[in-house]
Amino acid sequence: MRNRTFWLGFFGTLLLVGLGWWAWDRFRPYAFHGTVLQSNEPAPDFTLMSADGPVSLSDFRGKIVLLYFGYTFCPDVCPTTLTELKRAMELLGEDADQVQVIMVSVDPERDTPEKIQEYVEYFWPTFIGVTGTPEQIAEVATQYGIYYEKREVPGATGYLMDHTATVTVIDRDGYVKLIFPFGTPGEDIAADLKYLIEH
Amino acid sequence: MKRSLGFVLTLFALLALAACSGSKAEGPKIVIENAWGRPSPKVATAGAFYMTIRNEGSEDDALIGADSDACGTIELHESYMKEGGAMGMRPVPGGKIVIPAGETVELKMGGLHIMCIDKQIDFQPGTKVKLILHFEKSGDIPIEVEIRNPMK
Ligand SMILES: [Cu+2]
Repeated sequence: MRNRTFWLGFFGTLLLVGLGWWAWDRFRPYAFHGTVLQSNEPAPDFTLMSADGPVSLSDFRGKIVLLYFGYTFCPDVCPTTLTELKRAMELLGEDADQVQVIMVSVDPERDTPEKIQEYVEYFWPTFIGVTGTPEQIAEVATQYGIYYEKREVPGATGYLMDHTATVTVIDRDGYVKLIFPFGTPGEDIAADLKYLIEH
Repeated sequence: MKRSLGFVLTLFALLALAACSGSKAEGPKIVIENAWGRPSPKVATAGAFYMTIRNEGSEDDALIGADSDACGTIELHESYMKEGGAMGMRPVPGGKIVIPAGETVELKMGGLHIMCIDKQIDFQPGTKVKLILHFEKSGDIPIEVEIRNPMK
């Protein structure tokens, strides 16, 4: 008799713990890997030059846009980020066509639209590279809180660009939604994008 | 008394010998592992090489430069996070990468790298790039860098 009470209590507790766990897992709010931004204003529109002519942010309303600022001479930081974005696209599978990656050159002196396009395409065929006049680039960068600076260095490189290496996510309605810091794994990017696509 | 003097002399000689042969094992001993570089499009005029450098010896050494026919110029660089979170890249401070005795230094993405400026060849997956590393004490060490996609 005492035995039965014990086992009833034991399995009852087990059941409750299991149910609680399931409910928590099922109904907890999704925790984004990227930094969530609550913007009241839509992301500022811009028009820059791609290899196929002018490209505006508003051309991609209805898609999720990933905005990244970099330059083709960058051999370490930019390819690292583009490789993670490529990884995210691979993981998204069919949903990848809901996502548009745009890389803006912060080195318009050296990067022509053709050059930056060839560079980004190497990572993923649908990635778009854009550039513009130094004034245009400066304006877009300021609007998105991107810092960049040309820095002369001793040696053969001539100059390097220091730049914010975050990825800005603009949702389908045209609002800035997330920021991915440098080094965010493609797996985390894909998980966040998948959630945005499905909700 | 005579015998003990001989004994001391022999002991002394043995100790001296041991010290001499011991000094041969002193100094740096550099081991390079897992040297690789990322494939990149032709339009990317610069590339980066990464590797693990281990010093199994008892003396510090330093990587001071490198040469390769595949690059116009080679510089030792590091990517670093600036105040405010922006990423920058600069030639390594002091112009060298110190490899302390008994320690391992990683040249890796987003950090230390060997920067290949003015790529002379196409960096396709499978390409092997011959590279000569210059060390302060160990001298020249030729290695082969494999061009491949980064592994997780
Ligand atoms: Cu570099």
